[in-house]
Amino acid sequence: MTTPAAVRAALPRLLTTLAPYQAAVVRIGTAGTWGAYLLREWGNRRVLYGDRSPWSAELNDRLLADTHAFTALSWSDGRWWFEAVYLLALLSAGAVALGWRTRASTVLFALTVLSLQNRNVFLGDGGDNLVHLMAIYLVFTRCGAVWSLDARRRARRPGRDPAEWGEPRALADALAAMLHNCAMLVIAVQVVLVYATAGWYKVQGARWQDGTAVFYPLELDYFTPWPELSGLLGGSLLVTFALTYGTVAMQVGFPFSLAARRLKNVLLAVMVVEHLAIALLLGLPFFSLAMVSADAVFLPTALLLRLGGLLAVQGRAAGWWVARRSGRTGGAAAGEPVEAVAGGPVEAAGEPVGGADG
Amino acid sequence: MSAVRVWSKPARVVLVVAGVGLGACVLAFLGALFLHVAPANSVSKQYRAQVDWVVYPEFEQNWKLFAPDPLQRNVAVDARVQTVGPDGTVVTGEWRGLSAEDWAAIRHDPAPSHLDQNLLRRAWDFYESTHGEGDAQAAPGSRGQLAERYLERIALQRTGTGGGRVIQVQLRATVTAVAPPAWSREQVDTAPHVRELPWWPVQDADREGLS
Repeated sequence: MTTPAAVRAALPRLLTTLAPYQAAVVRIGTAGTWGAYLLREWGNRRVLYGDRSPWSAELNDRLLADTHAFTALSWSDGRWWFEAVYLLALLSAGAVALGWRTRASTVLFALTVLSLQNRNVFLGDGGDNLVHLMAIYLVFTRCGAVWSLDARRRARRPGRDPAEWGEPRALADALAAMLHNCAMLVIAVQVVLVYATAGWYKVQGARWQDGTAVFYPLELDYFTPWPELSGLLGGSLLVTFALTYGTVAMQVGFPFSLAARRLKNVLLAVMVVEHLAIALLLGLPFFSLAMVSADAVFLPTALLLRLGGLLAVQGRAAGWWVARRSGRTGGAAAGEPVEAVAGGPVEAAGEPVGGADG
Repeated sequence: MSAVRVWSKPARVVLVVAGVGLGACVLAFLGALFLHVAPANSVSKQYRAQVDWVVYPEFEQNWKLFAPDPLQRNVAVDARVQTVGPDGTVVTGEWRGLSAEDWAAIRHDPAPSHLDQNLLRRAWDFYESTHGEGDAQAAPGSRGQLAERYLERIALQRTGTGGGRVIQVQLRATVTAVAPPAWSREQVDTAPHVRELPWWPVQDADREGLS
């Protein structure tokens, strides 16, 4: 039972940065997904969002007059302004993924995501929608507290112990932590809304009820990069039924599973696997990556720390290997940057969370 | 972590005010999102203006992909143009399978481009959502007119000029229902239904930026 004393004891925790590892994974995943997408579309960028788009700047201006959505691309429809924004979008995605000057780079990231997506809203799918939302929410988090270049820098040049801070600074830090916690709550509820909406609306669909729903997307020409594989999967009555009912049960059940830690973790693992399958079968890798990145907000801290440690060890091994090889070929110590990036997380992991960026 | 800090009274006031304010904002925001994705209900109808104010334009929620039912039809959009040559002869070009080209591009691509997977597909959805079953020209200034101009420009960009000056462009959509699985006893009419749109006149300005 919750007693007033327990509540009073819990309150100070709300003034500290909660779930820093989850915030970092959402940051890395979201920015990484969008960055990879922008690289994928590099050759098509002008037709998709730029001066060669069939959705001309004039058409978009007429729509924007109605919707009032934000896009810096409406400030000028010249080619070079567009190229600058696209490049800035790529750079800010990289900066956010690496956690470089996270406060500023998340703002720039959100602005460029909105600018490109709102240049043509008839291009996106659910994945773009999710990146759009997460980019905005991340602005309000301290997603660079761990696993970031910022954290590395702080670890190298530690400031004063937070206990010695004067009250104004401690207060600013606590307020920033509160804002972060609120944003993390919004991200978590947003993910729940995604699954609850997808699940509850499916319950009402005749195809989801009759157990054939999963078969149909596998027959859509726009979503079958591997028709042989899709045909194989949709060819089985039992497999199709199990996937159809399993998907609905999982999506409807996920929000409730949050009350049961074990079950939640199992469902998360299954969901990640399902998204990987969607990525491959339906040709939606960026959609799936965006979903997995958002799901990561529910991953347990212990698992994240273990994964981070594992990656760091691998990084060190790779760094050592690269260094040895380049040493043999007469190159300089190429292992340093590899280790610098991969080793950062673990060094930073022991650092107190929350810093001078309040 | 360090011992719990003892806050002065003004600091406590700031913290409480900020906490209550933030909490209220978060609750209102999440409430609006919930009402937006929930089926139309008594509360969401009552507070529709407030909900829309929060959700549009930057917090839209499109999570009904494949729900309540997955898409069960393939739409193939074709386009052709009418050109006038230097000697004044008018030539009607061949139909060009725009969707078919998209599908060919998607085949065996592990990361299909939005250009192939979404651009035309969603432009056609936009057209359908603004026109329903009929193909009468939409009113000037309406969303329907934007959809027409968009489709027209997609067709012009993909078909090229064929050497002459393009004076008209036409689109058609062939809708085919996906046949039920082989192991299902269900019968579905899978005959293609062709929807031919009227010829749209083309001005030079319509081609701006398409090269």
